[in-house]
Order: sequence, then structure tokens, then C-alpha cells
Amino acid sequence: MLSKSDSLRIFAVVTITAVVIFLFLSYDTLKKIPDQTNEKNLTESVIRGKNIWESNNCMGCHTIFGEGAYYAPELTKVYTRRSEEFLRMFLKDPNAMYPGKRKMVKYDFSDGEIDDVISFLKWCGEVDLNGFPVEPPLKKHVSSAVVVNSSTIKKPEIFDKLCLTCHTLGGKGTRIEFAPTLDNIGNVRDKDFLKRWLTDPSSVKKNPLMPKFPLSESTILDLVDFLSEQK
Amino acid sequence: MKFKSQQIAYYFFATSMLLLTLQLIYGLIMAFAHVGYDVLHEVIPFNVARATHNNLLLVWLLSGFMGSAYYIIPEEVDREIVSLPLAFVQLIALVLVGVTAIIGFHLNWWEGRKFLEIPRALDYLVVIDVLLFLGILGLTILKAKKRTTTSMILYFGLFSAGLLYLPGMIDTTNQTNDSFWRWWVVHLWVEGVWELILGSMLAFLLIKLTGVDREVLEKWLYIIIGLTFLSGVLGTGHHYYWIGTPQYWLFIGGFFSALEPLAFLGLTMYTFIIYSRRVIDHPNKTALTWTLGCAVMSFFGAGFLGFVHTFPGVNIYTHGTLVTAMHGHMSFWGAYAMIVLASISYILPILIDNKSIYNYRVSKYAFWASNIGMFGMVLSFGLAGLLQVYLERMLDLDFFVIREELKFFFACLICFASLFISGVLSFIFTFILSGLPKTAKFNKV
Repeated sequence: MLSKSDSLRIFAVVTITAVVIFLFLSYDTLKKIPDQTNEKNLTESVIRGKNIWESNNCMGCHTIFGEGAYYAPELTKVYTRRSEEFLRMFLKDPNAMYPGKRKMVKYDFSDGEIDDVISFLKWCGEVDLNGFPVEPPLKKHVSSAVVVNSSTIKKPEIFDKLCLTCHTLGGKGTRIEFAPTLDNIGNVRDKDFLKRWLTDPSSVKKNPLMPKFPLSESTILDLVDFLSEQK
Repeated sequence: MKFKSQQIAYYFFATSMLLLTLQLIYGLIMAFAHVGYDVLHEVIPFNVARATHNNLLLVWLLSGFMGSAYYIIPEEVDREIVSLPLAFVQLIALVLVGVTAIIGFHLNWWEGRKFLEIPRALDYLVVIDVLLFLGILGLTILKAKKRTTTSMILYFGLFSAGLLYLPGMIDTTNQTNDSFWRWWVVHLWVEGVWELILGSMLAFLLIKLTGVDREVLEKWLYIIIGLTFLSGVLGTGHHYYWIGTPQYWLFIGGFFSALEPLAFLGLTMYTFIIYSRRVIDHPNKTALTWTLGCAVMSFFGAGFLGFVHTFPGVNIYTHGTLVTAMHGHMSFWGAYAMIVLASISYILPILIDNKSIYNYRVSKYAFWASNIGMFGMVLSFGLAGLLQVYLERMLDLDFFVIREELKFFFACLICFASLFISGVLSFIFTFILSGLPKTAKFNKV
């Protein structure tokens, strides 16, 4: 029969073994993290971004690497999922987008701070996370909408990341209330209107629901050309 | 009560009850925000409510552990606490640090690291407070002529918990390192050394409530916590799957996490086997119910619900979703909240010298309402989490589309939470109704 000192011995051996293995693996992990996380790209700006991330408890709503709260979107790949322009605009004024939806705290970040947060998110997106977040396995079964692009003009790269956040085109995108579908926008609006609207919606209409995006002149022209072809 | 200084436990328990009440309020704020009624957004945005909810939990549990330790250790080693005034100072310091931290959260003063939100400056004060606590009890044990396994395991658990607070204070510039060290604290607490505290508190309660020979009880306690350590320490790997750490953690974490339910099953079986061999019929049925309940619910929450999503092939979908919130709620409730409530149920009638609270019918209601309520909450979180996994991780639908679909489950959550809260408040009501310790003459100790 097992005596008390036997069981103490079992406890001690098991615990010490587990702790020793754990310490060894931890040591090895700490040695490997710099490579796996591209620590060479960890610039001053990324570090400042991390500090902003922490000092405002962004993890209290969002998740990064899947860690945090589950109230606001997961941000590990947000840099590639959206775009720098989207992030810049959003951080400048989080309430400008998604009228009537869940709100983020408006932090009044300076342009420099916004640059830092974006650098941090970009760096996070490039870390090798052993396959997380996984490619959605059922997505292919629901993307059945036929996208007919009658336009002869190539779709600007930013279109899917920025415009389809609230609008839809050819069945793609997520429609947020009041944002019109862009399928026939070329019949409804002319180039001049589209250009003025994309440059600054408030110059066309009082209190527009769409925010002013920090887009370059050439991006605006590309988008105008593309949109005016949607007939 | 054998020693007058054990009365200090009452004040720690009272603190726990107060903080627990506040925790419920902040939980409700978050649940309503999820349903779309984020009415307090300007004053208490979600991240403030979240940090407050989590930290109140940690502090009320710690306060409960400390109160229990101040009762159990003198009882076990057969002498008064070395200095009662210092123990009071330690309690007041704990409350002050906690309150300052929580006010700080509302003013955007924090560290923004899940569970370790307390700002760095206050971290040092936490360390000093814990050192004082460990010092008082350490000296008490050192000066005592008698030592028991239960008291030593309890002290070792508390000591290790204090020690493991330190890795969380390592400064990092790399988010992966940040997360790596954070889990050294959070995981090695809740799935490591806190289980020593749980195990020894459970053993103490079983010794008192069943009258079973301590030699038998303590012998098996070693085996169970050995299994806990083996699975828990290497099970840390399940937090290192997707944060930029090497792939071998998928194997290590997956394998040893699968053993974790066994450790909890061992704890449950241990409790029920001991109970079936009871030699006395203790009149305090409330304490007994909470003790047995803790053994069941800790297996269900920490063991089973943890197990269902720690396998890497499943976890890659569920990681960072409400499935985690499901496991989190039931494991903290089942393992740690319930052991503290069990301990209070046993110790309180002794402190206030009033056996009539054994028979309060409201105590029965408190147990069943809170447990059924929590079960329903966990079911709501689980269903919301599953739906989120399908819509977000498998179909890749837009965030706002998914959130609309989840609202129904959060409405269910609020209904069950109301039942849960009614149960917890009933517990607190009996606590208040029981009155103060009768012989509170601390100056003479």
C-alpha cells in the first residue's frame, strides 16, 4: 500500500520533471522567438505602437494573435485585410465609420501616434503564427455570387479593402445600412460628382455618412474611372 | 474558533463579498453592450468594464484565499498568527491597491495586458503586500511546533503564486515575448499553483466535514496535485500555439492539456470517495454542498470545457472567440469561486459563533440558483461561441453581420445571469445577516 512518504516522493519527482522540461523548452523558445517574429523589423515605431496598444488597453475589446476580449474585431491581419488608408482614417476618427454600429473610444491620436499603431499592426501581421488565423474552409461554398465586371478598367487594389467594407458590388462586400450598392453607380453619378465625393463627401452633402478618406489624387482618379464604368 | 487572531478571516471575506458584488455589475455592463445597449460607453467603455470585471475577480478570490489561509494555518499549526495588527495592515493595503487600480482603469491608467491590467507602479505595491502576507504566515508556521501537510501545501501554493507574479513584470518590446511571459503568470497561476491552494482548502474542508483520517486524505492530495502539475505546467503549451512561438508547443500543449481533465477527475473522485467514507455527519450542510459542488463544477469547467477546445486542430478555430469565455467563466466559478464560497460557508458560522446559519433556506437557494444560472450562462457563451466560429472562422462573414446574429445568445446570457446574480446575492445576504464576529477584541490578542 502506498505510504504518505511514497506519495510525497511521487509528487516531488513528477513536479520537478515537469518544471525542468518546461524551463528547458521556455529557454529554447526565447531563443527562437526573434527569428519567428522577424525581430529585425521591430523598429522604434513598432515599439511605440505597442506601448500605445497597451496604455489604452486595446486588448480590452479587440484580440491580437487571438488574445484579448471578444467585443471588437481580431486585428492580427487587419493591415492586409483593410488597408493603411482605412486604418489611418479609422484611428483618426473611429466614429466616422459604421453609423449606428458599435463604437470605439475616440482617442485623439496624433498623426505620429497613428503611424506607430499602424507599424505595430503591420509587424504583428507578419509574425509566423503557425497557421493562425486559418483560411476560412467554408468560404468557397458561399462565394456563389457571380461577379460580372463589365468594366474594361482594372479594379484598383484598394477597392476591395476599403469600399467593400460598407458597399457592395457584384454581390461582393458587406452592405452597411444606407451605403448604396455600387452596381450601377456609373449610370447614377458622373465622373465629376464621384471625384468631388471621394475627395471630400462633405463638400457635396451636409453631414455625409461616409467619411473623408486620406486618399492620394491618383488613387481617387483610378477609383473614379473604375466606378464610372459600373453600368 | 481555536485562536482569536483567526477572526481576521472575517474581514477578508467581507472584502471578497463587496468586490464580488461589484464584479457582477461590471459583468452586466458588458453583457448589455454585447446586446447593443452600450449606454455607458462614454463613462465606462467596454475595455474599462472588462478590465474591472477581471481584476475584481482576481482580487476577491485572492482576498478569499488570504482570509481562508489566515483561518486554516493557525488552526492547522496550532498557534496564533504572529501579528494581528500587521495582518490588518496587509488587508487595508490590499484594498487600497485594488481600489486605486480600479479607479485608475476608469481614467485610462493601466497596462492593457489581459488579466494583468494593474499599472506597473501598483505592481510593486502588490508585491510588497503579498510579501507581507507571506511573511506573517511564514513566521507563524516557523514559530509553530506542529506542521501539517495541508498547511504546508497551502503555504507553498500561496508562496508560489506570489513568486509567479514577477514574470509578468518583465519589460518586453516584442508582443510575442509579452504574451509568453503573461501566460507564465496567468496560466501557471490558474492551472498550476492556484490548484495547490484549491487542493489544500478542499482537503482542510473534507477533514473537518467528513472526519476522515487526515493521513489518508493528505496522502492522496499529493498524488492529485502531482498530476495537476504534470498536466498544468506543460499544458501551458496550449497558450503557445498561435502567438509566434515554435511549433513543438502544438504537440506538448495538446498532449499535456489532454491530461488536465484527468487531474480534475482525480480531484472529483477523491472528494466523493472521501465523502462516502465519512465518519461524522457534520451539521453544516451548506459548507458540505459547496465543497462537493466545487469538486464537480471544477471538473466540468476547468477539466471538461477546457479539454473540448485545447486540441490544436480545434483550437485554431476557437482561439480568440467566445468559446474561451465559456471555459473561462465555468472554470473560475467551479474551481476557485466555489472553493472560496465553500470555505466561507464553513468558517463563517465558527467566527460569529452562530450555528443557525446552517439551516438558512436561502443558503440552499444561493447554491442552486447560482450554479444553474452559471450553467445557463456558460451554455449561452458556448452557443454564441460556436456560431461565431462558424460565421467568422469558417465562412469569413463580416464582423457586424455576425454580431447581429450573436445578440440573441447574449440576451439569453442576461436571463441566466439574473438567476446567477440572485443566487450570489442570496449568499451575500446570509453573510450580512449573520452579523459580525462576536468576540472582536483584537487589541487583547
